[in-house]
Amino acid sequence: MASALATRIAAEHAAATAAESLSGDVVSRERRRAAIQMLAAEGLPTSRDENWKYVNLRPLEKVKFAPPASGQQALAGLTVADLPAPIEGYARYVFVDGVFAPGLSAGATKAGIAVRSLRDARGTARTAGAAGSVAAAGVAGTSGGVVSARGAGDSALPGSGGNVTTLGQPAASRDARFALLNDAFAVDGAEIRVSAGTDCPTCVELVFVAQVESQTGASYPRVELHVEPNARVGLIERHVSIGGGANFVNASVRVDIARGATVHHYRVQETGAKAVWFDTLSAVLGQDATYRLHGVNVGALSGRSTINVQLAGRGADAAISVASLGDKQQIQDAFVLVEHVAPNAKSEQTFRGICAGRARVGFNGMVVVRKDAKGTDSQQSLRGLLAGPEAEIDVRPQLEIYTDDVRCAHGATAGKLDDNMLFYLLSRGLDAATAQRLLKWAFLEDVVARIEVPELRRQIERSLAGQMKEADALRELL
Amino acid sequence: MGLKVMLKIEKLQVSVEGKKILNGLDLEVKPGEVHAIMGPNGSGKSTLAYSLAGRPGYEITGGKVTFGGRDLLALAPEERAHEGMFLGFQYPVEIPGVNNVYLLKAAVNAARKHRGLPEVDAFEFLTLVREKMKVMHMEESFLSRGVNEGFSGGEKKRNEILQMLMLEPRLAILDETDSGLDIDALKVVANGVNSLRSPERAVVLVTHYQRLLDYIVPDFVHVLVRGRIARSGDRTLALELERRGYDWIAGMERGVPPLDPPEAA
Repeated sequence: MASALATRIAAEHAAATAAESLSGDVVSRERRRAAIQMLAAEGLPTSRDENWKYVNLRPLEKVKFAPPASGQQALAGLTVADLPAPIEGYARYVFVDGVFAPGLSAGATKAGIAVRSLRDARGTARTAGAAGSVAAAGVAGTSGGVVSARGAGDSALPGSGGNVTTLGQPAASRDARFALLNDAFAVDGAEIRVSAGTDCPTCVELVFVAQVESQTGASYPRVELHVEPNARVGLIERHVSIGGGANFVNASVRVDIARGATVHHYRVQETGAKAVWFDTLSAVLGQDATYRLHGVNVGALSGRSTINVQLAGRGADAAISVASLGDKQQIQDAFVLVEHVAPNAKSEQTFRGICAGRARVGFNGMVVVRKDAKGTDSQQSLRGLLAGPEAEIDVRPQLEIYTDDVRCAHGATAGKLDDNMLFYLLSRGLDAATAQRLLKWAFLEDVVARIEVPELRRQIERSLAGQMKEADALRELL
Repeated sequence: MGLKVMLKIEKLQVSVEGKKILNGLDLEVKPGEVHAIMGPNGSGKSTLAYSLAGRPGYEITGGKVTFGGRDLLALAPEERAHEGMFLGFQYPVEIPGVNNVYLLKAAVNAARKHRGLPEVDAFEFLTLVREKMKVMHMEESFLSRGVNEGFSGGEKKRNEILQMLMLEPRLAILDETDSGLDIDALKVVANGVNSLRSPERAVVLVTHYQRLLDYIVPDFVHVLVRGRIARSGDRTLALELERRGYDWIAGMERGVPPLDPPEAA
């Protein structure tokens, strides 16, 4: 039976469809309808759902789910200077409230990579170069290796040479229901296609800017990354807010990595202090594919990331590392499901969370080993640090194994700063505040050290230091 | 000489988790002196070192300690460091994620700030660190490693002495710095300590074995038994202990009156 919320979502969807503001090019009309029907049948998650009990779902009651009537309206006054500093070597594509903003984008895409706005890629004869030309950046950018625009048939993306394709299918998992909401309402997005054998470790940066207030409309960032065999690619994905409003952001990211390909995917969530941020990422790895997912969550009043990584090909290798910081009233929640389907695949989850003020930080890391996944090697290291008497940390490793001959190890801790370490630093003359900051910083190092893009790492460190209100004391480290 | 007393411990009593460990300990250390504190396991040697450094959990139940004329026990651990006290840990703590070089610099700058000096110049600092690392036979790569992270026992102890050389404390308390060292490492560590000896500085060596004292020759040797100093003497006391064992002193504690205290003290 449809909940009041699902009923309202369906009504808003019907109204937006009638107003022709939801193009069937970005997501097919059938798929949008199917998503709305599934939401009506299943409802959005509630705090009674085991995997959602740490999330604040109350803001949903007040959100206007349909996107703003004209995404570009909000652009007024927004300039390149309002965005994070660009990362050298990465072509930047900016989306404002989910809609591609060529005027803010910069840089040239390299050969073998095609980046398109979903509206352009699937729409009628719009031919704007993905990265547009941007005066501020001084780079005359156009996309190289352009893939011809396709029709509306997004339900049948080719399998890119791998034998696994779930892109384009409705999210199967109940925990991926927010992706359905994105399917229903997304008005644009980024499609990235990397041709076989392309070697492009520094590649594409996507910046999703949330600007619209949630009573007026919602942002639906959408990414489809499609990597063909034996390619190597680096993707940066950022989520920011401008204007400090109460944004509602609901991102959906699909990653398909074919045989022998490698993806380094950096995700930074630093939306505004009043933003509510939901995110669903599904990745499927083919044979001997490698996926390195680095998530850093510092922003939003309430953030929830639902990540589902499927090791579908033999010998696939996924490492997911996430750092989350919470302070004041913030909630940072992450649910990661790693599914070993094929034999001899390897997965690793690393989580470091620091929680201060009255914040809550959660990480629920689940590993499922299916019956054919013999020779699975899976590691989990989940650690939470309490930095205040009213803070709350919840780390939960879960393991379901349906075969033998597997190696699964997990460690999970939640606690305060180590007294021995603290005394050691004090005995060297560091004052208590500096010593604590240093130890908090060190705690995140396991995740931060893996960020292999120096400039991005510097920016993330600055962002973390700012969140920890320790920019001054930590400046020597940056 | 008429030098002023640097560290004065009077009737110090310390409990850990409700158990009395130090039982009215007296000790005076003057600038320029090296004191060795010896004693059997459980006699309170490490408790003395930790209590002086201000480790939480070491409850002072009686007595008093002055350091440079100030009430030491009223100071926080970092203030004791600022006043020029250094504790070399028996088990140096591993802190993954904090660079050695960062800790060294933060420690040096904390001391400078206390003295009203500006932060150390980065170039001068590195030059000095490299010089001291040579003394301690440490490789350059060590600087970028996490504090004590994955260090061998010997590396950890050398790292303690390196920190000491950088901080140039007035009083170094070295808690079993010799334990777990092979003879070569012991010489390096001893050499480091000796390089800091001067008329203005003092060293308190806490050790179980007299071997270290072959390389760092003490002015005084004290034997700690059941939380107080049972016997004091010069370096020959350590040699005698080596020959006769701690039972000899422990036996005296049980009834036999101790010999006369050494005149020098």
